[in-house]
Amino acid sequence: MAARPRVVAALAAQLRDLDAAEEAFAGAAERALALAEAPRDLAAWLFVVARRRALDGVRKAAAEARTADALAQVTDMADILTLPEPIPDERLRLLFICCHPAIAPEARIALALKVICGLPVSAIARLFVVSEQTMFQRITRAKAKVREAGIAFELPPRRDWPARLAAVLLALELAFTAAYADAGGELSADLGEDLGGEVERLALLVAELVHEEPEALGLAALVLLARSRQAARLDDTGAMVPLSQQDCALWDFARITEARVLMERAAQAGRSGPYQVMAAIQLTHARRAFDGAVDWGAVVRLYDVLLALRPSPMVSLSRALALAQVEGAAAGLAAVGELPAERLALARPWHVARADLLAKTGRTGEAAAALDAALALGPPRAERLWLERWRAGLT
Amino acid sequence: MQFMLMINEDESVYAGPEGAALMEQVLAGHMKLAEDLVAAGVPFSGERLKPAATATTLRFDNGTTTLHDGPFAETHEELGGFYIIDVASLDEALEWARRIPVPKGGIEVRPVWPMGAEG
Repeated sequence: MAARPRVVAALAAQLRDLDAAEEAFAGAAERALALAEAPRDLAAWLFVVARRRALDGVRKAAAEARTADALAQVTDMADILTLPEPIPDERLRLLFICCHPAIAPEARIALALKVICGLPVSAIARLFVVSEQTMFQRITRAKAKVREAGIAFELPPRRDWPARLAAVLLALELAFTAAYADAGGELSADLGEDLGGEVERLALLVAELVHEEPEALGLAALVLLARSRQAARLDDTGAMVPLSQQDCALWDFARITEARVLMERAAQAGRSGPYQVMAAIQLTHARRAFDGAVDWGAVVRLYDVLLALRPSPMVSLSRALALAQVEGAAAGLAAVGELPAERLALARPWHVARADLLAKTGRTGEAAAALDAALALGPPRAERLWLERWRAGLT
Repeated sequence: MQFMLMINEDESVYAGPEGAALMEQVLAGHMKLAEDLVAAGVPFSGERLKPAATATTLRFDNGTTTLHDGPFAETHEELGGFYIIDVASLDEALEWARRIPVPKGGIEVRPVWPMGAEG
C-alpha cells in the first residue's frame, strides 16, 4: 500500500503506540481497497481514516480522554474527502525512538526497519540471518517495551544523539542494502514506495542534523553514490548491469558531486570510519567517469582499511575481486579460496564472484556450476536475467 | 507516569573509615537530589534501606512458607534504597536516575503499574 511508512510513522507519533499505528493503518488500508473509487490523495485519506479508527479504539477503552479529544478533529467522511490535510512527517523522530538505548540492541534496528521503512518481517529476518519466527518475537518484544516502559515519543535532546547514532546509521545501511539488492524494484513495488529514495532522504536528514559526526556524512555520501547509478543499473530488458559494465554517461553527476562535498566535510573531522571508507571505495569507482578507468590498487587498499575497521567475509570477497583486477584472476581466485566457503554458500555474491574469476581463468565448467548455484538461491528478477544471460553465453 | 528507581549497590564500598567518608558524600548527594526534585516540581518519594544483612526473606512454594535469613537473591549488589518519581517518560526518569549517587552498582528503572489500569 502506497505511502505506508510515512502514514504509519505519523500515526505512531500521534498515538504513541507502534502496534496501534500499524493496526489502524491495516484497517484503513482494508477499507481503502473496498472503496469503489480510490481517494484522490490516498496517503492523506489513509492517515485520517486510520487515525479515526485508532481514536474509536481509544474511546472504547475509555482511557486517555484527553488524547481522544485532541484526535477527534475529523469526524465526518465529507471532511476527509474535501480536506486532505498534509501528513506530518515523523519518520526521523520515530527512527531515533526506535534506536532508544532502552530497547535491546539486536531489536533496535529491526524495529526501525519494520516501523519506518515498512520492511516485511521476512525481509528483516533475511538481513539478520535469523528465522522469521525469531525476528517476529524480537520485534513484538521491542514494541511492547516502547509501549510499556514509557519511552518518550520525542526527538531526543542533542546530547543523547551519539548514543543512538550507531544504531540509526546501521538501520539506514541495512534498509539501503535491502533496497539496493532490489535493482528491479520488486520490494519497492510491494511496499508501494521507493525504498531507496526513502533511505536516501533519511540519510541526508541525519547527516544534516548530526553534521559534526563524520560517519553520518559518510553514510549519506555512500547512499548518494549508490543512488547516482540508478539509471544505469538495468538494461532495456530489465536485466541488471554490473557496476563495471555500466554506461557512466547515465550516472547522476549531481549526486556524485554532492557525495564528494559530504566526504570532504567528513574528512575535516579527522576521524575515519567504515562508512567514510565505503563511500571512498564507491567514489573511486565513480571516478571511472572522469579518468576512464578504475584505480583498482586504491580500491584494494581501501578494502584493507575497511577490513581492519569492520572485518567480514563479504568485505574480503569484494577485496578479492579488486585484487583480481590488479594481480590477475588467479590471485583473486586464491583469495576467494581462503574465505569460509560453508558460511558463504548461501550468499549469492560469493557464487557470482567465483563464476567471474573461474571464467576468467578458463575454468568454464566450474564457472557455469557457480552461476547455477547463484541462480538456485532465487535472485530477484533483474539479477536473475543478468545471470541467466551470462550463463547462456558460457556454454 | 510513575517510575521506581531501584538502587542496587555494592555495600562493601561503605566499609571502614574511608567508606564512612564516602557514605557522607553519597548522603549529601541524595539530599541535593531531593532538593532538585522539589525545585523541579517532580512528585517523589523514596527510602534508604538498612544493609542486606538485616533482611529476612519469606519464600512461598505451593502453599508452604519458609523464612530465610538474608536478602532475596545473593549477589554482589543489593537493593539499598529506592525512589518513586512521577515524570512524563522513561527518558525523564533516566535523566533523574543518572543523578543518583552510586559509587558502585546499578539502578533499575521500572514503570509502576498504574492503579486501576487493566493489564
